[in-house]
Amino acid sequence: MSLVIPLLLATFLFCVGVYGLIARRNAVLVLISVELMLNAVNINLVAFQNLLFPAEAAASGQLFALFIIGVAAAEVGVGLAIVFNLFRNRATVDVDRVDAMRW
Amino acid sequence: MESVLALAWLVPVLPLASAAVVAATGKRLPWGGAEVGILSVGAALALSAAIAWETFTNPGETLERAFAWSPLGGGFVLELGMLVDGLTAMMFLLVTLVSLMVHVYSRGYMEGEARFTYYYAMLSLFTFSMLLLVISNNTLQAVVGWELVGLCSFLLIGFYWEEKSNQDAANKAFLTTKFGDVGLIVGVIVLSAGMLGLSDTPFNFGETIDAAVSGELATGTIVLGMLLIFVGCISKSGQMPLHVWLPDAMAGPTPVSALIHAATMVTAGVFLLARLFPVLAQSALVMGVIAVVGILTLFFGGLLALVQDDIKKILAYSTISQLGYMVAAIGVGGYTASIFHLFTHGFFKALLFLGAGSLIHAVHSNDISAMGGLRRPMPVTFWTFTIGSLALAGFPMTAGFFSKDEILVSGDLWALNGFATGTYVYWVGIAAAFVTTFYMARAWFLIFTGEHRGAPHAADAHGGHGADHDAQADAHADAHHAAPNESGRWMLVPLVVLAVLSLTAGLIGSPFLQDEPNFEAWTATEVIEGTTYPFLAEYAAGAGVVAAEKGPSAKILHGPPTWHLDLLGIVLAAFAGAVLLAWRLYGKGLPDEDPTLRMGPLSRALVAKYGFDAAGYRYVVVPVRDRLSAWATRVSNDVIDGVVGGTGAAAKRLAGVTYATVDQGIIDGGVNGAAFSAAWWSARLRRIQSGDVQRYAGALVAGVVLLVLAFVAIR
Amino acid sequence: MTGLDLVLLGVGLLTAASAVMTVISRNLVHAALFLAVALAGIAGVFLVLRADFLALVQLVVYVGAVAVLFLFGLMLTRAPIGREALDSQHRGLALGVSGTLFAVLSWLIVDAFGNVRVEEVAGPRIGDLGIALFRDWVLPFEVLSMLLLAALVGAIVLSRREDGESGEPEPVVPIALAVDPDADPDAAPDAAGEVRA
Repeated sequence: MSLVIPLLLATFLFCVGVYGLIARRNAVLVLISVELMLNAVNINLVAFQNLLFPAEAAASGQLFALFIIGVAAAEVGVGLAIVFNLFRNRATVDVDRVDAMRW
Repeated sequence: MESVLALAWLVPVLPLASAAVVAATGKRLPWGGAEVGILSVGAALALSAAIAWETFTNPGETLERAFAWSPLGGGFVLELGMLVDGLTAMMFLLVTLVSLMVHVYSRGYMEGEARFTYYYAMLSLFTFSMLLLVISNNTLQAVVGWELVGLCSFLLIGFYWEEKSNQDAANKAFLTTKFGDVGLIVGVIVLSAGMLGLSDTPFNFGETIDAAVSGELATGTIVLGMLLIFVGCISKSGQMPLHVWLPDAMAGPTPVSALIHAATMVTAGVFLLARLFPVLAQSALVMGVIAVVGILTLFFGGLLALVQDDIKKILAYSTISQLGYMVAAIGVGGYTASIFHLFTHGFFKALLFLGAGSLIHAVHSNDISAMGGLRRPMPVTFWTFTIGSLALAGFPMTAGFFSKDEILVSGDLWALNGFATGTYVYWVGIAAAFVTTFYMARAWFLIFTGEHRGAPHAADAHGGHGADHDAQADAHADAHHAAPNESGRWMLVPLVVLAVLSLTAGLIGSPFLQDEPNFEAWTATEVIEGTTYPFLAEYAAGAGVVAAEKGPSAKILHGPPTWHLDLLGIVLAAFAGAVLLAWRLYGKGLPDEDPTLRMGPLSRALVAKYGFDAAGYRYVVVPVRDRLSAWATRVSNDVIDGVVGGTGAAAKRLAGVTYATVDQGIIDGGVNGAAFSAAWWSARLRRIQSGDVQRYAGALVAGVVLLVLAFVAIR
Repeated sequence: MTGLDLVLLGVGLLTAASAVMTVISRNLVHAALFLAVALAGIAGVFLVLRADFLALVQLVVYVGAVAVLFLFGLMLTRAPIGREALDSQHRGLALGVSGTLFAVLSWLIVDAFGNVRVEEVAGPRIGDLGIALFRDWVLPFEVLSMLLLAALVGAIVLSRREDGESGEPEPVVPIALAVDPDADPDAAPDAAGEVRA
């Protein structure tokens, strides 16, 4: 199995995530883009697990991916809570309208 | 069936839980958290007793369990574990028992204290720290416990932190021990680095010992590592020259002093040496250094107690001296003797400190010259303190007698193997026993016999010093409550318990118990079987046979305790002589004299005692002050001042020139220019801070791209 | 090009397409649904890469929970629909940066791993993973559980209504509901006067 396919897929997903992170205005969509980037990293970890430690029973690459999924879940929870709070206070979830911290 | 040893982890966890519960809820509890501390430490004591019984009746039974954690992978495992053997069980018993006594005692002693709850939380935490150190199965965990002990002692010594002197004492204790901790940590690292290729768990005690005994661990590693670890022990266990924090540590509450001196702090160093005994026994150099430090400490530490008036300081110096015994015993191969003394010393020193606390509570002064005649008003304190003093002085059949005897015998045996340090331990030990007896007898006479000098009494015009002393006595009388009373039950019960133990604890290792199980089989079976002295063969091939004739088996320099009538005779003579001397000096004249310590030459012996002081003054202070500093003054005035003056004049001229050109022209211009340009640039650069997070994110990713390209370019 | 490669390529293309749709879709709900498809595709990639357990976790956690969470988030915040409403003015910057990043990274990857092939072995059994997770990695695992608990508490604290708050946004800006649950979102009339490109 060729390694380059999953790696390129991961790169592509990551860059799509970067695009969404910068181009999207809605905060929920920004969070969605972050999820894409995190998943791209997971693909990378699993692919390199297969390359580097193919026969190892304790697959640390997969375990890392598991941990990232866990952390991402926490991130989504807190992130959405912040978005809700923002919405309640400012009646908007557009990140470019939340620019109080500027010169 | 699981043995009770598997529950050993509960012993440190109980005080930890107690500390947490007390800190969280103590203020709302009826006794301010004391009940939680007493109950949990009591439970820990019960468990320790069960463990002690289990290991005592089955010598050599051990249990090691650990959580392994391998953060780096590949043959490097950190452990959080427990090693339960006779030594651990003995320390458990000692620490939890003394701690329980202190917990109970403090209930009375600290009554009405503003930070009562905080005090109890710290007390429990202190106990936990020591137990963590004791239970650990690897050096790294021991270091954690060790540092926690240091932290807790800092907090408790500085308990009355409102006074500057107490803060200073706490800082001094912390910094002095911290100095040694550096050595300890480096030593631990050295040992573990030597172990790296040999074992997956380089910090493990057992594997370190195995590797050292089998010769896999390089001798240089052992010597360097153990000497560095010993530096940690020097500071923690108050050995010369890092003993200076111990007397100052008296600034803490008296029960804390008892805890520090008997169970939780100073014993840590000796414990660690005992734990690593088979390792350090690989090198004659290490053992020699340990023995020499121990001998110096046990003698000179004891002498210092002679000139103290503060009851707590007398006891502090006696602790230093007794720790010197323990360390010296380690240095002469007396493993059992050392920890046996550690065991018995814990009881009688805790007793003495708690007794001293009771006295201080009654007369509101630490000064023994302000006490006197306390036998009648405080009978329980009197009897228990007497028992403690006898045990400390090594009176036959008390706890201290058996253990000190063992140490002296160990020295004798070591001498038979051809080491001079053994001889010194033997004779200096006897001399120090004399000194110990003398200063305890002096304190005893001054505290308990005669009349209460704190109370107002008729001035006795006695020589030229009368007026001064009357004024002093009156001042004391005003400060003190009228008549000292016996302390309350909370304080007396621990005294009685410890007094009983001070009398009986020694029997466990006494010649009455020659067969197993006895103290030696309990704590030392494995160590004795595992310890080799590879250097012994080089020094004295046949000496072992001589030692064997003396009693214990040759190689291990241990054995079932036996009676040594010659030593008993010498010790008894020293005891009697010291008591007699003290009685002559302080006992007889008491009723009609002010037996203060600064009264001058009452007898030749007292002169000799001050002679030590004066010698230090004459040979250290005077030369330094008069000759060295006079010389330094001359050098300073003539040589250094000339150089400095000349340099100054030259510098001034140079500065005049420099100011005009360099400073005004170049530097000021530069500074002003920098300010202006900063203002100009910041006005433009701040526009980058648009507040638009997405632009930031874009810049971030662009920066990453640039960095990636840069890395590729320089590859 | 083995059979597995082909499967991987197929699943990967589906995933990539869904991901692209996620970030360019003009309809919020569509974006979230495309995200779910992309996440499911990633689960498929995991399957091909012999990470069975991870694929299941991906399905349960991401497709099952996180995507639904996002849908809730979108609905509760009543965001408008339309490219101008959803995209900021940084589209050019975003395209430039991510395009450059992809070009650089894919060049590096092809350069470094272009000819590397992975042995097709059986992946770790789930039992092994469990043992590794609860023995060697138990401490990070527990830390992670603490993190999740903290995130839970934090999320509740952040989104909790203060006393007296209605839960409604205070400044009343007339925003129409983003999604009419009964109608096809694409066919729905544009809300709040937004113009679709």
